[in-house]
Amino acid sequence: MHLTKQLELFPDHRVTQMLFKDVKNAAELRQSAVKGQISGALINPKMLVNPFQVLVATNKSVHLQKTGKMKTRSLYSEIIFSLSPTNNISEAFKKFGISDGDDSVMVVLVHSRDESQLLSDIAAKVDGLQIPVEDVSLLSDLAKIKKLYKVTPQEEKCGTLLDAVVCRMATKDVM
Amino acid sequence: MAQEKSVAVSDFLSKAELIKQGAEARVYRSEFLGKSAIVKERFPKRYRHPVLDERLTHRRTVQEVRAILRCRRAGISTPVVYFVDYTSHCIFLEEIMGSLTVRDHIASIQQSDSCKEQELEHLAECVGHILAKMHDEDVIHGDLTTSNMLLRHGLEDGESSLVLIDFGLSYISALPEDKGVDLYVLEKAFLSTHPNTETLFDKLLKSYRASSKKSSAVIKKLDEVRLRGRKRSMVG
Repeated sequence: MHLTKQLELFPDHRVTQMLFKDVKNAAELRQSAVKGQISGALINPKMLVNPFQVLVATNKSVHLQKTGKMKTRSLYSEIIFSLSPTNNISEAFKKFGISDGDDSVMVVLVHSRDESQLLSDIAAKVDGLQIPVEDVSLLSDLAKIKKLYKVTPQEEKCGTLLDAVVCRMATKDVM
Repeated sequence: MAQEKSVAVSDFLSKAELIKQGAEARVYRSEFLGKSAIVKERFPKRYRHPVLDERLTHRRTVQEVRAILRCRRAGISTPVVYFVDYTSHCIFLEEIMGSLTVRDHIASIQQSDSCKEQELEHLAECVGHILAKMHDEDVIHGDLTTSNMLLRHGLEDGESSLVLIDFGLSYISALPEDKGVDLYVLEKAFLSTHPNTETLFDKLLKSYRASSKKSSAVIKKLDEVRLRGRKRSMVG
């Protein structure tokens, strides 16, 4: 169900993504994340096109953490911020973090080895149904994504929506 | 902390496959987040003052990334940028799979006995059209050669599409002078790599003229530049 990937640039870091739908305790989850009781990033899956998008954001965040150049306070908030095409932190949380009324959530964890304990701990906290991470594309709100990332129809002709989104995430700090 | 990172990227690159080394950068092929990627590393130039070197390298990295995004937004195919490291000046780009440079393509057509004149003309028109689109966005490529254009075979329609690469010398400018020089550089490179292609290059320019809204000023400048060369005369 979950997807774990080692970061080539940081071989001692692994990223695990877990996707849940029919979530009933989004408000509670968000609260614990804000308090720092959940060691993971809670992302609104409607704004995701593909798990690769999360990998790009996580790789960038780990890199910024290592170089001491993070814009936000923690690695997990940095992942949410890295997903956003703008440099506005509160807007990034609003759009890419989960909101109280949400019924689906993508949980992103960064860990060193295979930590199945960590995964089951998180899964126990979410009151929802875990589904394969690849199914995130079924949840995406394409119209909203295109609007937020300002993807033009002509750009979609020369590449996929994922290409356009990833490009904007990777280059936003110099735009 | 800053040191640790450089180690991460240089460790990574030491295991990557070096595919090209130029005066400005090294180009590697490697896996990145599960995809095949090309990494362009602008290494430090020891012959320059370190502060100047850092500034120049940083600016070129930023300019390259900006030009790529600007082109993509206008619907011009360029490699996707996956990740940029501004501390070691590395750009991680999509690898264009199953591609061929326009240079090799033209050479192979010219070699085959049944010279497919029409195919070459079609290609020249495509190049002219794309460059017109790029210049209308005020992107100056800076190093237009047939080696910096790739032909990617289309997955669905079987029709191949043009991908522009290597925006390392690119910048943003609306001046017809800069666009004229850009075309002049291509003309020089084109005619010297591909002998007897004067008429083909004319086709390219014709298509450029037809596609670009601001072409008349640019072509006028091109004629001027042809007479005086790439550098502007400082006399008078």
